[in-house]
Amino acid sequence: MRPIVTTILGAALLFGASGAAGATGGEVFEAKGCGECHYTQGPAREKTIADQLAKKGPELWYAGSKFQKAWLSAWLADPKPIRPMAFNDLTTVNPGGHPKLSGGDVAAVTGFLMGLTSDAVKSGKVKPKKNPKGRQIFIKKMPCSGCHQYAGRKGKIAGGRSGPSLVNAGVRLNPDWILAYLQQPKVFKPVKMMPVFVGLLSDKDMLNVARYVANFKPKKKRK
Amino acid sequence: MKQRMIIAAMMALASLLAAPASASEAETVFKFYCAQCHGLTGKGDGPNVTKDFPVSPRNFTNAGEMNKLTDADLKNVIMDGGPSVSKSPMMPPWGKTLTAGEVDGLIKHLRTLCQCKGKQG
Repeated sequence: MRPIVTTILGAALLFGASGAAGATGGEVFEAKGCGECHYTQGPAREKTIADQLAKKGPELWYAGSKFQKAWLSAWLADPKPIRPMAFNDLTTVNPGGHPKLSGGDVAAVTGFLMGLTSDAVKSGKVKPKKNPKGRQIFIKKMPCSGCHQYAGRKGKIAGGRSGPSLVNAGVRLNPDWILAYLQQPKVFKPVKMMPVFVGLLSDKDMLNVARYVANFKPKKKRK
Repeated sequence: MKQRMIIAAMMALASLLAAPASASEAETVFKFYCAQCHGLTGKGDGPNVTKDFPVSPRNFTNAGEMNKLTDADLKNVIMDGGPSVSKSPMMPPWGKTLTAGEVDGLIKHLRTLCQCKGKQG
């Protein structure tokens, strides 16, 4: 009997200690109201345009497969707009002002979000690198640059404004997610403003585009 | 009797699925996909059209220009993109994104915007 009581007491102390040390990332996420704009349980729920337009922010149920941890952590502490236009809005410039996290909440929420993954993203498929074929598709053959900003010649920002900016996307996005998203868009975003390229681009072309976009990184300063 | 009712219900459902999108559905589709470049009112002034944008997206309210195109021309460019009609690749191929009913609905919506019937093919 005594060992059982000791175990229960020990467990209670452990939970107590965990609560005192700080809430879990999921608890912080809810307490800060993040769940009011971002849903975190997959699979994707959107079935109609109205469903997509009803969302106040991007879905995060596969955040751990989509983002790079270092970027996510830095962004949560100091969020800067990713989209030139406000979410789901074609007439309002993104005003910024996404709530910030501070202290231990940053690591807690980063850990929580990085734990939300999708089996549809296979790791080790995409190695970021200079890719003329990917560039050709991105800028000339397909209309990617019509909606997404990127750093053009001499770092000049080029491209359209209705999609998320891809400037420095190689720091933000998991290269393997870019490919998975192109190949299986409906798994992640069943209803979206971006065209479906499945059946229009070959797997090889999608890999080239993913490599090219994953290589969008800040230029290293020469010493 | 019951079987006939089931068949009738299935036929009604099939005709619904094949039917073009209603006018308001077509407008929703237009505003969601097309307005990014063509603007919410179809004047070719969506948020992507900055001074650096390489082409001028079609102004759908220009009846003179829109009357040069048949409905089949519109369908081709929507489904297969700008290059299919020797226009810019900035116009994406939407054939893998939109349903046939949505494309038909969009063509009707474009004719509402231009208040024109288009070239008869």
